[in-house]
Amino acid sequence: MGYLDHLLHFAMPLVVAAGVTIEVSVGAFALATTLGLLLASIRFFMPSRLVRLPISIYVEVFRNVPSLTHLFIIFFGLAYVGIRLDSLVAAIVGLGLIGAAVLTEIFRAGFEAVHIGQREAALAVGMTPGMTFREIILPQTWRVTLPPIGNYAVQLVKDTSLVAAIAAPEIMFTARNLVVNTFQTTLVYGIAAALYLAICIPLSRAIRRLERRMAIPR
Amino acid sequence: MIDFFQTLIEHAPDWGRRLLPATGQTVLITAASFGLALALAVLIEFGRTSGVKVIHRAIGGYIEVVRALPILAVLYLIYFGLPGLGVTFSPFAAGTIGLGVVYSTYLAEVLRAGVDSLHRGQREAALAGGMTPLLVFRLIILPQAVRVVLPPLLVSLISLLKDSSVCALIAFNELTLSGRIIMSESFLPLHIFVLVGAIYFSIAWPMSLFVRWLEPRLNRGRRSGHGGALGP
Repeated sequence: MGYLDHLLHFAMPLVVAAGVTIEVSVGAFALATTLGLLLASIRFFMPSRLVRLPISIYVEVFRNVPSLTHLFIIFFGLAYVGIRLDSLVAAIVGLGLIGAAVLTEIFRAGFEAVHIGQREAALAVGMTPGMTFREIILPQTWRVTLPPIGNYAVQLVKDTSLVAAIAAPEIMFTARNLVVNTFQTTLVYGIAAALYLAICIPLSRAIRRLERRMAIPR
Repeated sequence: MIDFFQTLIEHAPDWGRRLLPATGQTVLITAASFGLALALAVLIEFGRTSGVKVIHRAIGGYIEVVRALPILAVLYLIYFGLPGLGVTFSPFAAGTIGLGVVYSTYLAEVLRAGVDSLHRGQREAALAGGMTPLLVFRLIILPQAVRVVLPPLLVSLISLLKDSSVCALIAFNELTLSGRIIMSESFLPLHIFVLVGAIYFSIAWPMSLFVRWLEPRLNRGRRSGHGGALGP
């Protein structure tokens, strides 16, 4: 009984923190998919270099610098120039912007996977470019992009642990605080790890099942 | 904007003196953990092809569990959690082991794709033609496997370089931690982290460009190109 109380004493705050982890994940995922789809679509519709270059720079910068550096720039750097973000907002914005760069590339690959002849045919029979995109290209894109988007989602849940470094009260940050007060490192970090397993394993299994269902039958 | 760069240039010599060795530490831990990850991945791949059911199961469990854990959780478990059980590591050792374990699962998948891309008949034919096993490996297997394996290995190496920044949170004095220390002394967070980001970028971006340059060249002459690398 004593041990159970002990365990619950540590587990409860961590379970609450897992709620924050999920909150940050969902927020960042929504921002990343919206912005990623937007940027990939802009690149798709406007082949002009002037439009492509800023998007390419954005993608390259966000993909070749560690997430932690971006989070520090957004949280500490912006505060320095007077834009003070709440740590949760900074976490969602930071991870969302990083994810948008990943998803822009995923959607680009998805659009390219649809044969150009389909687009030409749709335009030839009188569909507008917007309709062609919405009715012909986008529905087929999902099949190709779903597996990498699923991988990204799992990766994102794990990457939310990094926002502990900017004091967002998710699992790892809460665990760290519990340890500072109690020195029960092995137990606390063990529970924290178990919580990630409890979120990520079912999530990746569900994604794999969805992938199999969406796969093109051979 | 001009002010920003003026301040940056003013501090650059002083910061550079400290960031340069820290960059060396980042490169060092990246190389060490990549070596460990590759060695573990080879073991995993041997286990997978061994055909022993227990080993197969154990490897499946290992990959599923490690894949579900954030790097930070793995590093904290090794650096802060294991001492509770009587095992203590230095930050460098804990970082190397943690990153190595996490990346072994990615690299194992890369190696698997490499092995699976070769038809078994090729090896059998070469042996039947009188080549020694070593010769078969060097002249038949390796040149083909490298084509499949090299680009995703390099992509993983770039990811690993970026993820080595997480070791800052277990007090390993690499680039990101040095940046944080300088920040707390100078109160110029924007300047220092833009500089730190630029250093990472100057290592990672050329590597990314190299992979993009390399991939179509390796695939030249192959009938079916495999898909581009999107992960991990």
